Amino acid sequence: MSAPPEDLLSAYLDDELDAGERARVERQLEESAEWRELHRELRETRELLRGLPIRDAPAGFFDGLLERGVTGAVPIDAKRRRTRIVSWVAGGAAAAAIVAVVLVPGQTRVKPAVATFVSSHAARSSVSEEPVSELAPVAGPVRLGR
Amino acid sequence: MTTDGVPSWEEVARDHGRFLYNVAYRLSGNDDDARDLVQESLLRVRRGLETYQPGSFEGWLARIVTNVFLDEVRRKRRRPVQALPDDPDRVLPAMAGADDAAAAAGLSAEIQEALAGLPEEFRVPVVLRDVADQTYEDIAGTLGVPVGTVRSRLHRGRRMLRAALVESGVVQ
Repeated sequence: MSAPPEDLLSAYLDDELDAGERARVERQLEESAEWRELHRELRETRELLRGLPIRDAPAGFFDGLLERGVTGAVPIDAKRRRTRIVSWVAGGAAAAAIVAVVLVPGQTRVKPAVATFVSSHAARSSVSEEPVSELAPVAGPVRLGR
Repeated sequence: MTTDGVPSWEEVARDHGRFLYNVAYRLSGNDDDARDLVQESLLRVRRGLETYQPGSFEGWLARIVTNVFLDEVRRKRRRPVQALPDDPDRVLPAMAGADDAAAAAGLSAEIQEALAGLPEEFRVPVVLRDVADQTYEDIAGTLGVPVGTVRSRLHRGRRMLRAALVESGVVQ
């Protein structure tokens, strides 16, 4: 007799076989070490899954639903649409800010340039037309020691 | 409870919310999607309570949350679900009587990650069987496929999960 289909082994673990199928699987388990190993692996995997802890909702989630009533809940689509609109607005604002930073400085350049203005002003206010030496006599000589 | 023995949606949220959220989380792999799934499921519960036929109530809820999940999967087919690790502060022990081996070994995040890595086609029957404790017939009804298909997908799902757990070093 040929080996039963392998998926009978999962159904065997779940007690979802009729008497005839169950007998076939048990016979195969007796005869085949490979099937016994697969049976052990599947049983272990199933137990790990069944042993997963219950995942609880965040605190207050159900209280919130009960408080406002499920009819007051925002349907998934509407909520996602709203989130998408907010994203578009935020994206537009960010793009506008980038454009402003890149383009606007060219429009607000100071005329004449500050460096040129300072140097021409210094030249005009200096008698000797040599601006640096004009700054020196502002204070008296410093005497160190007695 | 209404006069015909059918609970109100508030009672469903209060008494079965934990079950619903747990299944939603194991299907979706993250809290944000699980919250959305539960919220939408409760909306459908509210609409469906009038026509609910007494039977396995958690089976009915599992079917609703699975349908909501599959609708969402179809909608965002191009956006892959990213599994986030369990937050240990919010994970409570499994119900009394359940095998707590995974929690005891501190492996739940790795197992959840492996589960989230399964294609939905295989993840859904695995979650419905091993988390929601549904029979093959219930799962077949939920998914609209023959029982043989459930058996095959469940088996392949468990084997794929096993391979992922071996790869991540959870089992040998």
